[in-house]
Amino acid sequence: MVDHAVLLEEVTRTYGKGATEVAALRRVSIGFPRGSFTAVMGPSGSGKSTLLQCASGLDRPDSGAVRIAGQDITRFGENELAVLRRDQVGVIFQAFNLVPSLTAWQNVILPSSLARRRPDPSRVRELLHRVGLAGREGHRPAQLSGGQQQRVAIARALLGRPEVLFADEPTGALDRRTGHEVLALLREAVDAFGQTVVMVTHDPEAAAQADRVLLLTDGRIVEVLDRPSADQIGMRLGGRR
Amino acid sequence: MTLVLAWNNVRTNRMGFAASFAAVVLAVMLVGGSGLVVVGAATRAELNGIMGLLVLSAVVSGFVSIFVVAGILSLHVLRQRRTWALLRSVGMTPRQVSRLITAEALVVAVLANVAGCVLAVPYAALMAAFMQMTGLAPGGVPVKVTTGPFIVALVVGLAVTLLAARVAARKAVGVGPLEVLRDSAVQRRLLPWPRAVAGGAALAGGAVLLWLVPQVKLKSAAPTALGATMVLCVGASALGPVAVRGMGWLLGAVAARLDPGAGMLARSSLVAQPRRAMSAASPVMLTVALACTFLFAVETTDAAAGVTRTGPSVWVAPMLVGSAVVYTVISVLNSTAMTMAERAGEIRLLRTVGTKPQQLARAVCWETLIVTCAGTLLGTGIAAASLAMLGKAETGELRFAYSLPQYAGLVLICTLSGLAGGLAATRRARHGALLPD
Ligand SMILES: Nc1ncnc2c1ncn2[C@@H]1O[C@H](COP(=O)(O)OP(=O)(O)OP(=O)(O)O)[C@@H](O)[C@H]1O
Ligand SMILES: [Mg+2]
Repeated sequence: MVDHAVLLEEVTRTYGKGATEVAALRRVSIGFPRGSFTAVMGPSGSGKSTLLQCASGLDRPDSGAVRIAGQDITRFGENELAVLRRDQVGVIFQAFNLVPSLTAWQNVILPSSLARRRPDPSRVRELLHRVGLAGREGHRPAQLSGGQQQRVAIARALLGRPEVLFADEPTGALDRRTGHEVLALLREAVDAFGQTVVMVTHDPEAAAQADRVLLLTDGRIVEVLDRPSADQIGMRLGGRR
Repeated sequence: MTLVLAWNNVRTNRMGFAASFAAVVLAVMLVGGSGLVVVGAATRAELNGIMGLLVLSAVVSGFVSIFVVAGILSLHVLRQRRTWALLRSVGMTPRQVSRLITAEALVVAVLANVAGCVLAVPYAALMAAFMQMTGLAPGGVPVKVTTGPFIVALVVGLAVTLLAARVAARKAVGVGPLEVLRDSAVQRRLLPWPRAVAGGAALAGGAVLLWLVPQVKLKSAAPTALGATMVLCVGASALGPVAVRGMGWLLGAVAARLDPGAGMLARSSLVAQPRRAMSAASPVMLTVALACTFLFAVETTDAAAGVTRTGPSVWVAPMLVGSAVVYTVISVLNSTAMTMAERAGEIRLLRTVGTKPQQLARAVCWETLIVTCAGTLLGTGIAAASLAMLGKAETGELRFAYSLPQYAGLVLICTLSGLAGGLAATRRARHGALLPD
């Protein structure tokens, strides 16, 4: 049996009621094996962000179970969820990732400070350097560009070496070079530290870095590709458009 | 189009509108009601002796109203700076935005003025009844509905609302849309020149009034001291952000020591946004400064004259300043709630990186406590200066009479209403669904 870091069982999430009802996820069942890198792709509005939000415990599905390390987190209370987010799960969103009143450095070490841990400063410095933010440690979010803000959030998610990392279009706002560096960091998290990464992306080249690609349409997983090349992915996506 | 926009703004900003509306209604009620009492008392010769006190309390009400309404409105307008910036980025001119803001304020002002005038009559009757009960006016005060006070209240209410809205609108459109969208509050000057100059001038004026207290006739000493307190409050609230940043830094460090996670969050937000903190601190300062000056001035004068009040007459001074205090306490709640409601997104974000609900509640509490503490310190300082000079006028010494229980009660009430406002406004963000619908 495969050891799953995260396991979704028949997860359904519906927004709105009545005429405005939208089924964002329809009975989705999928496992993310420990130490694997999965990319989630699909057209805009197909439910990718919703899948990530439910899997990471940010949102509660209407039905179904989400197991992280074997425990059903849909039954967790707020305190248990907080501890989970602080120690086991890292998230990077599409937008609004940082606390405006804290500097880049303070934002990165925030989860550790909340848990009253003192992270190793040299590792914080190294992470910020690798995401291309050396010398920006003391800047507040308002003084950083959108892509830079997102990279601070990536450094924050990586610092605690959480078991699972969820990233919603982490390279969407980045240029090719920084995008590559971020992907390399995610890949390294998987290869060197055995972390599990789930990443939403629209970019076939980014998805080609993953071990596996899920294709989502209308709230359903319609295809799973193992170690596809960028061209293969592009063809699949093209065929579905 | 402007109408559609205005209506949508009202709908999406219910809380800000409710707060502004309530502030103006109560202000008009207070001013109109005190006016009715003063006019009624003027018709009775036997009430001549207390006329001074009545006028003084009416003036305090008026001052407090202007101060609070202006504060809430500017908070309300600036809180929506994102909306204004968005409108401008899609092509609205600064003039149009400014007109939109003024139009909204006008609607609020007119509706609130009408409601306030209606409420002024029962309020005046209540005041008159209190005055009869406490023996201040044993024969009662005839409250007749005359137009004079209403006209004053209406004019003051409308003028203040519109003026505050215009000033806030100018501030709101004075910054480029890009700066706002990137929320560059950090880069803005903490104390722009006009504000610094106005604040400095007010402080200087207050100092002159303080110096005058022992020089003027003994009868005018107490009103002069009260005037000094008011002018000093204006100065302190203009220069407040600097003081609040300093205190936030110091007290925040203590909080961060006692409660590392939550205290650190409170401190960083105070240091990064001292102007926001000052909008919440300034009603506290006003409450403490005015109430202490009024209450303890009466006490100091009584002590100097060898008067000891007993029975119901003990309540004369608290009653006269009571409604103004209730009003400022409500505005403490109001402004704390407004400054905290702005932070919903930030609080949700903190939850997503693993902040416990308890920790968040503590962070809100720390921040509110530090803000209240800063306001209390400023207010106490101002009141002490005015009272000391009054003491000098009465007895030749820089001493004054005071009541510790009354002071502690005031501070406690301010703190509690601040905490209530802060916790209530962030409740949904702290406990509700993480992804707002
Ligand atoms: N809070 C919400 N309220 C109502 N409907 C929502 C909400 N969030 C998402 N939806 C709907 O659910 C569906 C899935 O949305 P989701 O954000 O998961 O899409 P996505 O695949 O991430 O799209 P994109 O690539 O554009 O980010 C969409 O049809 C969207 O309109
Ligand atoms: Mg999305």
